[in-house]
Amino acid sequence: MDDLSLLSDLSLFLKEKKANGVKIVAYLAHDNIPEELLDAAGFFPLRMMFGGNDDLMDASHNFLPPSTCAFAQSCIGLYSTKPNIFSFLDLVDFFIVSNHCVSDICVSEIISKHFNIPRLDFYVPYTKNNSSLKYFKLELLELKKRLEAITGTEITNEKLFESINKYNEFKRVLLKVNELEILGSEKLKVLQRAMLYGPEFQPDLEKFIQYVRENPSSLLETSKDILFTGCSIFVNDNLVDLIEEGGGNIIFFDTWIGSHYSSQIINDSSIQTEKDPLDLLVLKFKDNIYGDHTVPNFLEQKVALIENYYQKYTKTKGRKLGVINHIIKFCDHISLLSSFLKERLQEKGISVLNLERDYSRANSGQLLTRIEAYLEMME
Amino acid sequence: MSLIADEIIQFSSVLRMAYNLLTGRNYLKRKKFREKEKLVAVTLPFSDLAFAAGTIPVFPIRMHQFEISQYLTYLGSASSIFGWNTVSNFLGFIRNLGINEISKIVDDIIEDVIDVINKKYNEMYDIGIENGISSDFCYGLKSLVGMHVTKGSNVDACLNVTIRCSAYNKYLESLKAINKGPKQIWVDIPPRNIGNAIELLTNNVSNAIKEFENLTGKTITDNQIRDHFKIGNQVKRAYKNIIYEISASDFYPCNPATFSEIMALLSISFQDYNSNAPRYRDNIMALEREMRERIRKGIGMDVADRPRIFVTPMFGGWEPKSHEIIYELGGRALYADWELLRMLEEIPTSSHSNPAEEYARFLMNATETGIGCDNDKLTDSYLRMARDLNADGLIFFQLFGCHSISNCYTMLREKVRRELEIPTTAITFNKIGENVEQVKTRLGAFMEMFR
Repeated sequence: MDDLSLLSDLSLFLKEKKANGVKIVAYLAHDNIPEELLDAAGFFPLRMMFGGNDDLMDASHNFLPPSTCAFAQSCIGLYSTKPNIFSFLDLVDFFIVSNHCVSDICVSEIISKHFNIPRLDFYVPYTKNNSSLKYFKLELLELKKRLEAITGTEITNEKLFESINKYNEFKRVLLKVNELEILGSEKLKVLQRAMLYGPEFQPDLEKFIQYVRENPSSLLETSKDILFTGCSIFVNDNLVDLIEEGGGNIIFFDTWIGSHYSSQIINDSSIQTEKDPLDLLVLKFKDNIYGDHTVPNFLEQKVALIENYYQKYTKTKGRKLGVINHIIKFCDHISLLSSFLKERLQEKGISVLNLERDYSRANSGQLLTRIEAYLEMME
Repeated sequence: MSLIADEIIQFSSVLRMAYNLLTGRNYLKRKKFREKEKLVAVTLPFSDLAFAAGTIPVFPIRMHQFEISQYLTYLGSASSIFGWNTVSNFLGFIRNLGINEISKIVDDIIEDVIDVINKKYNEMYDIGIENGISSDFCYGLKSLVGMHVTKGSNVDACLNVTIRCSAYNKYLESLKAINKGPKQIWVDIPPRNIGNAIELLTNNVSNAIKEFENLTGKTITDNQIRDHFKIGNQVKRAYKNIIYEISASDFYPCNPATFSEIMALLSISFQDYNSNAPRYRDNIMALEREMRERIRKGIGMDVADRPRIFVTPMFGGWEPKSHEIIYELGGRALYADWELLRMLEEIPTSSHSNPAEEYARFLMNATETGIGCDNDKLTDSYLRMARDLNADGLIFFQLFGCHSISNCYTMLREKVRRELEIPTTAITFNKIGENVEQVKTRLGAFMEMFR
C-alpha cells in the first residue's frame, strides 16, 4: 500500500463520487473544519494532506515568497503543476478558505482565485471564551446557509445528527488504530488512508484492526520508541521512513493525522441531550484543546498531554520514550512555540528533538543524521 | 544627515516626541515605582483600553535605556525650565549663525534619535533569536520577543489583541512563557463581521475592561473611557491631517526626507503615544500647527515635481534609509501604515454611546476593511491608500518570514497594475542596515521609471 497506489485509488474513488453527483469540497489539512456539516449536505470533504517536494515548492514562488510554510507552498505547487497522480484535484468543486493559520488563508485564496474554484469561507476564532464559541456557531450557520443555497436542499437536524454519529464512530475506530503495536510507517499509512476516505473506510479499518490483533507483529526490540508531535506527516512524505531507517519507531502520533483528529469525539450524553446539532459542533470545537490554532493555552495542554503519555508509557512498558517535534519550515504555530515546548518537557526529564525541515529531498541525509544522533542519545 | 537635522530642529514638537520616546525608561520608572502605576505592554496601536483604565501602556522597547546624546538630555532639562519652543528656537538661531560645533551637536542629537531606535531594534532582534525564536520569523516578531525577554518582566500586564497573523497570535501566547509574572489580558477580534459579531466583540472588550479593573483595583467608568477616546480622536485627526493634507500636498514644510523621518517617528510612537496620551496629543497637534505655519509662510520645499512614492508596510520592519535614498533619487516617500489599516478612524464619544461597543466597532472595522480577513481585502486597503494619497508609485517591503502581509504582494501587484496603473516593486527586508546597497540598487531602478 504505497503512496502511489493510495493516490491512484483515491483518484478512482473521487471519480466515482463525482459520477454519483457528489460535490467535492477541499480544504487545507487542518482541524476545526466541520466535516460533519459538509457530509450532511451531501458533499465529500477532501483534506489537502499531501506532502511536497522541491518541484512543488518551487512552483509556488510565482504566488508566494519562499519564506512561506513548505506545506502551503506545496499545496499551491500541486495546483500549478498538476502532477499526474494528483489529477483528481481537478475534480474539486469548492475550496474552503479558512484561517487555521494565515498561510492557510493565503493559499486557499490563491487556489480559489487562480485555479477558478469557488470558495467557501469558514473562519475560526483564536480563543475559546463564550463569545468565541458563539462566534463559531455563527460561522457554522453561515456555512450551512451557503451549502443549502448550493444544493437547494435543507440540511436537516436529522441528517446532521446522522453525520455527527457517523464521524464519531469513525474516530473511535481510528483511536484504536493509533493504539496498535505496529510499525509506525504502517500505522501512518492506515491513518492517512482513513482520513482521506473518511467514514467509508471504517469497515476496512475494522478488518485491519482485527487482522493485527490476530497476527501480532513482533517489533524490533532494538528500535527506539518515539512519540511524534508537531506537524503531521502527510502523504508522499518520507519522514517516517527516515525515522525508521535511523532506528526509531513511532508508537504514538500526537499530530493532527493521528490522535489529535481521532480524539475529537463528541460525548454520547451530549448527543442524546442536545437538540441543535450545530451546538454539538461548537462543543467539539470547545473540547479541541490540543488544536494548535487556539491561544492562549495550547502550549500548556500540549506539555500536559505529552507528559501524561510519557509517564504512563514508560511506567507500563518499562521502555524509554523519545519525543520528536516535527516543524515544517515556516509553520507559524508549531515553530514559534517549539523552543518553549522543548524547554518545558526537558525540565520534566523528557528529551525532545525539534526537527525542522522543508520538503527538500536533498536534506534527507542531514535529517537522518540528526535523527540518528538523537536516537543514540536515548541509549 | 545634516540637512535632515537642520530641518528637524525647526519642529520643537518633533524634538519633544523624540525626547519622550527615548527617555521613556525614566518616565516609566517614575510611574511604576514612585506613583505606583501599572505598566501594560502593548504592540500595534491597541493602547486605548490601557489608557482608559488609567494604566500606563508601553511599547516594550521604550523600557530600554537608549544611548542618547548627552546634549539631548541637556536639551530635555533645559526645556523643562525654558520650554521646548524657546530651546528649539535658540538652537535654530545659533545654527543659523554658522557655529560649526553647535551644528555638529545638533546633527548628533538628531542622528541619535533616528539611529539609536534602529540600533535598539536590531539589538532586540538578535536577543530574540538568542532566546529561541526561530530566525524564520519576521523582523517585527523577533524584535518583540527580544523586547519581552529583556524588559517584559517589568510590566504588570500584557494587552493581547488577536489579529489575522497567526504568528503574531502565537507570539502573544508565548509571552506568558517568556515572563510568568505579567497578567495576560486578551481581546479576541472575530475574524469577520457576521451575525452579532459586534455584540460578541463588545463582550470581549467588556471582559478586558473587567480584567483591567482587577489589575488596578479601580472601577473604570464609561466617561473615563470616552475621555480617552476623545484624546485618541484628536491624535488621529491630527495624524490624518498630516497624512492627507500635508504629505499628499505639493509643498512640504521641510525637505521630503525630513518629512518621512517625522512620519516614521509618528509610526513608531503612535503605538503607545509615548505612554502619555494628553502629552502626545499636544505634541502631534503642535506638529500639525508648526507644519501648517511654515507652509503658510512659504518656508519649506516645493515638491510638486517629485513623484509620490507610497512605501509600505513599515510597521513590522523596513529599511529606514529608504526615504533618504528616494529623496536623493528625486522622489518623496510617503508612510501611512496606520491609516491604511484603519487604525486612525475616530471612535464616537457621545454620552449615550456604549464605549465598549464603540471600541468593538472600531476594532471590527479595522479588521474587516483595514487589515482584512483575507488578502483580497488587505490588498484593497493598499489600493485605497495609494489612491487617496494620489501615489505615483508603490514600494512594498516584503519582510522575510512574514506570512501575513508579505504574502499578498503577488495579488497586490496585479491589482495595482490593473486598477491604478502605477509602477510597483517589492524590496525584500530582513534586518535594518543589512541590505542597504541592494535597496539602493532596487530603488534606483524603480525611480528610473519616473525620469
